[in-house]
Amino acid sequence: MSGESSGNLLSVENLTVRFPVKQGGLFKRKTFLYAVDDVSFAVKRGETLAIVGESGSGKTTAALAVARLVDAHLGTVKLGEHDFLTLKDEALRKARAKVQFIFQDPYASLNPRLRAEAVVREPLDSLDEGEPSKRQETVDELFKAVGLRPEQQRLFPHQFSGGQRQRIGIARALATRPELIICDEPVSALDVAVQAQILNLLRKLQKDFGLTYLFISHDLGVVQHMCDSIAVMYMGKIVEHADRKSLFNNPKHPYTQALLSAVPSVDKKRREATKRILIPGDPPDPINPPKGCRFANRCPIAVPSCSDSQPALRALGDSHTVACHLVDC
Amino acid sequence: MAALLKVENLRIELTTRDGIAPVIDDLSLELNAGETLSFVGESGCGKSMTALAIMGLLPDKVGRVASGTIMFDGEDLAKASDARLREIRGNDISMIFQEPMTSLNPVYTIGEQIAEVLRRHQNMDQAAARSRALELLDAVRIPNPKSRVDDYPHQMSGGQRQRVMIAIALACEPKILIADEPTTALDVTVQAQIFDLLRDLGKETGTAIILITHDMGAVAEMAERMIVMYAGRKAEEGPVDQIIEHPRHPYTKGLISCVPHLVAQLSDDRPELTEVRGIVPSLMDFGRDECLFSSRCERADDKCRSSRPTEMKFKNDQHSACWQAKEL
Ligand SMILES: Nc1ncnc2c1ncn2[C@@H]1O[C@H](COP(=O)(O)OP(=O)(O)OP(=O)(O)O)[C@@H](O)[C@H]1O
Ligand SMILES: Nc1ncnc2c1ncn2[C@@H]1O[C@H](COP(=O)(O)OP(=O)(O)OP(=O)(O)O)[C@@H](O)[C@H]1O
Ligand code: SF4
Ligand SMILES: [Mg+2]
Ligand SMILES: [Mg+2]
Repeated sequence: MSGESSGNLLSVENLTVRFPVKQGGLFKRKTFLYAVDDVSFAVKRGETLAIVGESGSGKTTAALAVARLVDAHLGTVKLGEHDFLTLKDEALRKARAKVQFIFQDPYASLNPRLRAEAVVREPLDSLDEGEPSKRQETVDELFKAVGLRPEQQRLFPHQFSGGQRQRIGIARALATRPELIICDEPVSALDVAVQAQILNLLRKLQKDFGLTYLFISHDLGVVQHMCDSIAVMYMGKIVEHADRKSLFNNPKHPYTQALLSAVPSVDKKRREATKRILIPGDPPDPINPPKGCRFANRCPIAVPSCSDSQPALRALGDSHTVACHLVDC
Repeated sequence: MAALLKVENLRIELTTRDGIAPVIDDLSLELNAGETLSFVGESGCGKSMTALAIMGLLPDKVGRVASGTIMFDGEDLAKASDARLREIRGNDISMIFQEPMTSLNPVYTIGEQIAEVLRRHQNMDQAAARSRALELLDAVRIPNPKSRVDDYPHQMSGGQRQRVMIAIALACEPKILIADEPTTALDVTVQAQIFDLLRDLGKETGTAIILITHDMGAVAEMAERMIVMYAGRKAEEGPVDQIIEHPRHPYTKGLISCVPHLVAQLSDDRPELTEVRGIVPSLMDFGRDECLFSSRCERADDKCRSSRPTEMKFKNDQHSACWQAKEL
């Protein structure tokens, strides 16, 4: 099942991204770190897929590969009917406009020498989108859509607050009328009050423009609020993938269970109902991943055979898959 | 029982390019032995500055205690000499700083860094300091301390480095441990371990903890009492459970309801998040005679905009600096 017939805007299959690493020693073998290792997922048009997981698990790398901002070693990234990774020239340029990125750090991601209007207009100019005379109109509309005032177009990035800068980043991402927006920790650098404004804005824009989001965040409260489904990554692999309610109410993978149990909550009922599951230690060296389940050395329920082979993702129900030898499917 | 630490009417002024500003304005608080008190509030509200004042570490030439007292064990830290403050920092009050990566020295092993604290402050000899360092690493749950004690900071993960920082802070068996956003840069699974560690520590040694954070969930899980700071002032103070159940200040209410929380049973319902419009006023406006939250508050009236609210005290020990606290 792929392409638009299934309702998926994005469908990623067997995506693998590896980085060469230098190894010391006499025999300089060429080694690779597999940051994303044979990962598949799909996102329905107009929906949000969240990717969560430990620092270093490959969330950003997977997202960058989807947007062709790093090279995939293997795999396909279907955007609608096209394989985005094999497009060239004009077709690629057109497809690129359909995929935009919103970064974590609104401070670092905007060109400090450009006025806000130029920042937002730049992608239009570089893609040569629409009549040049019409572009100002588009910029006006975008400023309105993200809740900035017209007179603020003349200001430079440093004259804005963090939340306003993130709004500029969003306006810029919207400029080319994208279908897919990849948000990598879009609110982590913001204070909670401003975070709420941006999250509400992202959901409103999704409705108004029919946007599809790939949403990366380490804040599971935020993820719960934003997503329709979630993929949980651990050391380059997806270990669990489910719709929002199944994942949060009925997590199956021991890592997901530990992760959710670790989130502090203001809800007393949740605190009383949750037994914290500790996973001591660190993930293994990503350059030499273990042969079996990559979570085995920290897993509270692991048995010796878990280290023999890698568990495959298996279906539990319509929209729930999990990669653990000990979960009954 | 007398409080371990009692801060009264503390005013801290910062000298900036634009003039002098009260970064902490008439702040009073008490901390009892063995309890965990949390400071919350948005960025720039003065949480770290309060901690630095208690530690006698206000930014040199820029910050000073303008008035008020910081009583610790019968001694006013606001008037103590630099030498005396250094002594107190080594023995009675220690702090885990907001940026763990910059607080460890990259050229010494972690064992050397812990032992150095012990030698300096507790006059231990080399052998005793090393074996105590091993105990401390074990106490902060570094697996196999013997094999890690000679590691350099860069050989450890972020979570491990943060645990080493805690070990250093604990080396002198402080009466007060101030933890300034100790887990912000860490994975939640690691954060949970650090929180467990801090909790056990409070129980086992009676160390009082001041936990600075922006995460209400962390406050709910860790602290008995909390202080909500806004623009250098105390907006609300009281028992954590009571405040979360019924905040008596619009700012507190906003802070709690603008965050999407995980709940016991997730439903399909996803209402818009409550927004607190606007941002914290700039430092130069901190001293004004008004409710500094009035520019963002839905309930603000003329009184709010023209005089600083006095603190209202409730029977359950909640305090709120809002003119309308009773109606909330
Ligand atoms: N350009 C690169 N060269 C070499 N290794 C890299 C590169 N980018 C990422 N990595 C490695 O790939 C792995 C995955 O990194 P990635 O940034 O995708 O993680 P992440 O899940 O986004 O983590 P975080 O939550 O910390 O942002 C890590 O081990 C990282 O060190
Ligand atoms: N060394 C300094 N010189 C001048 N101003 C400073 C200095 N340190 C802090 N400030 C200012 O003092 C105010 C309070 O800062 P403080 O660090 O206490 O905030 P905070 O509540 O800890 O915020 P955060 O959550 O971002 O850590 C801020 O406006 C800050 O810009
Ligand atoms: S004093 Fe007035 S402006 Fe301030 S929080 Fe209370 S109601 Fe709002
Ligand atoms: Mg990342
Ligand atoms: Mg701070």
